[in-house]
Amino acid sequence: MKLFTKYNRVNITATIFTFVLGSIAFYFVLDYVLTRQLKETLRSEQFEIIHFVEEHHALPEIQNTRHQWITVERSTEILPRPKFKNSSFYNEKEKENESIKQLLFSINVAGQNYLITVNKSEAETEDLLKLIILVTIGMIALILLFNYLINRNLINRLWQPFYTTIDEIKEYHVSNRQPLQLSKLPIDELDLLNDSLNKMTQSIYKDYAALKSFTENASHEMQTPLAVIRSRIDLLLQQSELKEQSLQQILSIEDAAQRLSKLHQSLLLLTKIENKQFLLNESVDIKKIILEKIEEREDLIETKQLKIETNCTDLTLHFHQHLAEILFNNLLNNSIKYTPANGLIYIELTESFVCFSNDAMNGPLEEGRVFQRFYKPSDSGEGTGLGLAIIKEICHLAGFDIVYSFTGHQHIFKIQFKS
Amino acid sequence: MVEFLSASGYLCESVLNFKDAVEKIEVYDYDCIVLDIMLPGGSGLQILQYLKENHKTDGVIIISAKDSLEDKISGIELGADDYLTKPFHLSELSVRVAAIIRRNKFQGRAIISAGEIEVDTMGKSISIHHQNVELTQKEFQLLLFLIINKNKVISKNAIAEHLWGDDMDIASNFDFIYAHIKNLRKKIIAAGGEDRIRSIYGVGYKMQLP
Repeated sequence: MKLFTKYNRVNITATIFTFVLGSIAFYFVLDYVLTRQLKETLRSEQFEIIHFVEEHHALPEIQNTRHQWITVERSTEILPRPKFKNSSFYNEKEKENESIKQLLFSINVAGQNYLITVNKSEAETEDLLKLIILVTIGMIALILLFNYLINRNLINRLWQPFYTTIDEIKEYHVSNRQPLQLSKLPIDELDLLNDSLNKMTQSIYKDYAALKSFTENASHEMQTPLAVIRSRIDLLLQQSELKEQSLQQILSIEDAAQRLSKLHQSLLLLTKIENKQFLLNESVDIKKIILEKIEEREDLIETKQLKIETNCTDLTLHFHQHLAEILFNNLLNNSIKYTPANGLIYIELTESFVCFSNDAMNGPLEEGRVFQRFYKPSDSGEGTGLGLAIIKEICHLAGFDIVYSFTGHQHIFKIQFKS
Repeated sequence: MVEFLSASGYLCESVLNFKDAVEKIEVYDYDCIVLDIMLPGGSGLQILQYLKENHKTDGVIIISAKDSLEDKISGIELGADDYLTKPFHLSELSVRVAAIIRRNKFQGRAIISAGEIEVDTMGKSISIHHQNVELTQKEFQLLLFLIINKNKVISKNAIAEHLWGDDMDIASNFDFIYAHIKNLRKKIIAAGGEDRIRSIYGVGYKMQLP
């Protein structure tokens, strides 16, 4: 639920509740005031009559109006005090029942008791009350409507910079090589948000840059001594007086140095993939890469007398050229390496998946561990044990699913592209 | 590096920091400069920029441990001719240097001769006693590699890396190299050439040339 909707829901409910409550109270107060006024009028009429009688010792001549009239009747009983009464009568002119308010009191004129009733129609009061209530309800409706419209427009406008900020955050990637630069805003809260985000990305970017330069420098610092070892070995090999035994030892040093540097490069690559330093924003022709990689290895395949069958459809993916090459390099290398001589490698590429299957030398690999770093089955020879881990990481980065299975004495690696 | 390249018959000079490098390239014109990106006192890329601004035509090979793609791209954009990542075999460097010198001096059309074998580096073909010999691409690469590093022991690792690149650790199965060498020898002898490829047992191969 949007903040605005939530706020509106609460706001409108509260407003309606307040207004209804207010209206009810208003009605009763108004009713009370108007009734009191009515009674006041009746009472003043009473006083006028009493006053007249006291002065003239006779009943006044009574002027009746449509809304107010007085009746006088002789009476033997005497009301101890004036009494109000509600009653109603039929108004012939308007053809409706009107409620009236009556004030009854007794008066003695020249020894004769009279019961005087002062009547006043409540129609006027009721009309007034109705009108006032109507106006009030109209006003409430108008206020609600305007409130809603203003809120919607104003709040939408007020939140606009917030959405701009969100859009910018979505676009942002720390490997864009600069911290987020959100503009200053006139609204304090949003400005605070932008400012905090700017500061946060600044510090994230700093850490990221430091980490990146550390890995790069570390790699440089490690590769340099390795390079020295290798060039010294190349030089040593040229010395003709070396005994065969020394040569073998030198070569095993070279092997180790080469392994170390490969291991190091693989780990560095894994770190880079994990840090998402590769942006998948290139169109990559998958079929072309696979066929190229096969061609590059034609001599190896021939020497081992392997049979390669391919069934590839044209497929271009949103990917990273270099990573795609590494991915298929590794898959193909594994297939070639672990297929026995005269064996079969089958590669299938469709719109939705790519599948590498090859005849197995031994039994199945451990399904749970096959993609783990440094996982080496006993017959794997001298690999780094990182090839499949790199494949897995690349798939993970691209959102592909990779599954290993073993059927028909074949290793099968199937990569499911995004569904 | 200097020792190895000097032994290959190049005249080599080396400097160890940015300032000396700039001084040297101001004074001399080199056929080929091997440039490390991380220099004390500055970046190798700045030197490239300097060369470009002054319209120097020295060939440049960048050497770096940073196999960051960005460095590679900016290096090539700035006019580097080639890019090697550490660590590499000296024999590999030697081939790259030879290629750049060929490209700059002879527009790539150099014929390299090794005894009776003549290698046309542009046409990627060889002839023995002026007679064309058909080689596969890998065999040609291997032969050129051995000839340029003539009279040097080249380890199998170095050959594997040259032929199949860095990312192909299957080549550590040296049978492939043996197969290529065997075919090469056969073809050379069949064309009436002398087999000058010496096997150094367990180590590698060496092109024995006078």
